[in-house]
Amino acid sequence: MSLAVDASGRDLRSVSIELKEAVAKGPVVIHGAAYLHGLFAGFKKGEVIIEGDSGDYLGVLNDGATIRITGNAGRYLADNMTGGTVIVEGDAGYGVGQYCYGGTIVVKGNAGDFTAVMNKGATIIIEGNVGDEVATYMLAGDLVIVGDAGKNLGNYLIRGNIYVGGKWESLGHNTLLEEMTQADLVRLRGYFDEYGIKADPMIFKKIVRLSEKPFYKAKEPIQLECPRV
Amino acid sequence: MPPMNGTFCVTVMKDRCINTKMPGKCATCVEVCPYDVFGIDGAGSVYVQNYNACVGCRICAEFCPDDAIRINPAESEFLVRSPWTFPQVEEIHYKAQTGEYMLRGFGTMGHAPSFDNITVVPSQIASAAPLDKYREECNLEVVIGEDTCENPIRLRYPLIFPAMSFGALSKEARMSLAIGAAQTGILSNTGEGGLLKDETWLIKGYENEERTLKRWEPGGYLVVQWSTGRWGVSADFVRAGDGVEIKIGQGAKPGMGGHLLGAKVNEEIAAVRGIPVGSDALSPCRYYDVQDLEDMKRTVAFLRDVTDYKVPIFFKLGPSRPYADVKACVEAGADAISIDGLVGGTGCSPAVVTQGVGIPTVALIPPAVQALKDMGVHRRVKLFVLGGMRSGLDAYKAMAMGADGVGFGAAAEIAMGCRACMSCHTGRCPYGITSQDPELRARLDPVEGGRRLANFIKATAEEVKMLTMLSGHNDISDLSEEDLRAMDLNTAAITGLKLVGYERRLPWWEDERNELNVG
Repeated sequence: MSLAVDASGRDLRSVSIELKEAVAKGPVVIHGAAYLHGLFAGFKKGEVIIEGDSGDYLGVLNDGATIRITGNAGRYLADNMTGGTVIVEGDAGYGVGQYCYGGTIVVKGNAGDFTAVMNKGATIIIEGNVGDEVATYMLAGDLVIVGDAGKNLGNYLIRGNIYVGGKWESLGHNTLLEEMTQADLVRLRGYFDEYGIKADPMIFKKIVRLSEKPFYKAKEPIQLECPRV
Repeated sequence: MPPMNGTFCVTVMKDRCINTKMPGKCATCVEVCPYDVFGIDGAGSVYVQNYNACVGCRICAEFCPDDAIRINPAESEFLVRSPWTFPQVEEIHYKAQTGEYMLRGFGTMGHAPSFDNITVVPSQIASAAPLDKYREECNLEVVIGEDTCENPIRLRYPLIFPAMSFGALSKEARMSLAIGAAQTGILSNTGEGGLLKDETWLIKGYENEERTLKRWEPGGYLVVQWSTGRWGVSADFVRAGDGVEIKIGQGAKPGMGGHLLGAKVNEEIAAVRGIPVGSDALSPCRYYDVQDLEDMKRTVAFLRDVTDYKVPIFFKLGPSRPYADVKACVEAGADAISIDGLVGGTGCSPAVVTQGVGIPTVALIPPAVQALKDMGVHRRVKLFVLGGMRSGLDAYKAMAMGADGVGFGAAAEIAMGCRACMSCHTGRCPYGITSQDPELRARLDPVEGGRRLANFIKATAEEVKMLTMLSGHNDISDLSEEDLRAMDLNTAAITGLKLVGYERRLPWWEDERNELNVG
């Protein structure tokens, strides 16, 4: 039996205090969180289910908790997450999984523009379509887009992989279309099985970076010798 | 002023000199010069033996029978060949050769309106009598977030070490700053390069990770930075600080994000930042996860929530529209605002941006203070001024203009040993401050660096105290514009201080209908 927290009409601080106590005891169901922003920030463990829609910055700085949203998520879902899992049954807004260092985000619907920007290691799976400027300056991690992508996909990618099942409008700078390997197929199948996504890994295309050093000149690290003064 | 060595260049034109043509025949210059600039060898030939001794009296030229001697002042090329100075010519050559613009570390070069043309007004008979610096007390403490947080920051002195990241600075330099802050009870800011584990205990004055050996009293404060690049940021990082600073911009490159060139990205920094070794870390210029002021308010709200409403939230601004920007920060919920001026330094920045973008520090303070006053939070939301602050004199002037404290970035580096060669971006700092090369880094001892920083801060604080007391105050928060005068029209015009002699503010500062343009 999970505990219920009603967040409607309340401020972040009071809901947060109640949540901290409730989460320590077991799974929590939250109602009426659609207008509350920055909810469930920085939790190391715990399990919550958001009944209905959520506000912006849900699960920001999440460091190990599991969050499930039955409706749609607001903007900046799981911003700067370092661990844990966030699953959205509906759509997610602008900027899903920006600045993440780790963890997994699964959006069953569509996601907005600027998704996975500066992703530094998280696995982000979007079952629907995504908007423009997705995965800009991504530094590590996996981004799986089962549907289509918009303009400038993977702009200035540094590391990490982007897998796209559908089409894209245009690719950004410093991107390279690479052959899918057996390891990629296994990895995608693993994701699809784990999160119950119906898709065929065989049709996916993989985008990687062209160079790890796209800015200025591709400078080598300094030679470790110095003049004696 | 006494003559300076090396101020003059001595040139002997061989084709005119009698001695060159007939050695042994003339040595007038040798005889007349009282400073032994000229020498004579065994064969009777005259030569210049010590250029540096010349004081520029030109007596040799006067006596030279054939006008063969020239004495030129060795003035800076900036004066004599401007605008086509050597650095300018070299910069054009660099661009012509490579097709790239110049990058450079440190700060703005050359003249910008500064605190130099402001003078301090001491107390005499008409105002409150001066206080005795040697035998009386003066309050220098600044408390940040007293009304809003559970654990406010109590700075012993109104001085801070502003954000300088691990990456821009070496590990040793970051440790020095922590040790320096621990010895003086002030704060050090991590910058955007993530947290160095050692800092967390050094800043509290502990020598070891277990926090059993306390070596430095009273212990300082560590402020962690929430920046646009978010390097190494996690919930633990945010909670590790005694405060969280939200970086909006910086003085060296307002409108741009942090630059860390690949040359400085070694394994350790690559690991903290999550980037490949040797690749450039160019932070975004804005927050991808903030689109308007409402979002910024939400950011402040969740940062307070993550830190359990315990620690103050700082904002750091670049020099742009200080009145409107400071107002926005207060609306977003800041406990303290650092505003960085044009002269503010950096580890690396495009040269034209460092040189030509932003408002001079001295001109930022009046509108920023006005914004705080208009919002009714002056002295409650603390204002720290950064950018080219050098001494207790600068600090005093900034505080009398309404700031609550100042930050020493470049000055702190110099206190650690830097000689301002402006090459921080290369990663070849000869003093190991902005280098990641193990051999160069070994030249900086964190304990010695910390001691020097603490000395610098203590001496500077004494200067502030002395100036505060001689102008008749026993608390830095009592300082006001009345304690300062502008010494030239320009300074009076941009600061609204009273002009010396005229003893009034310039007329347009008195016109209350003249509202600040918030654009």
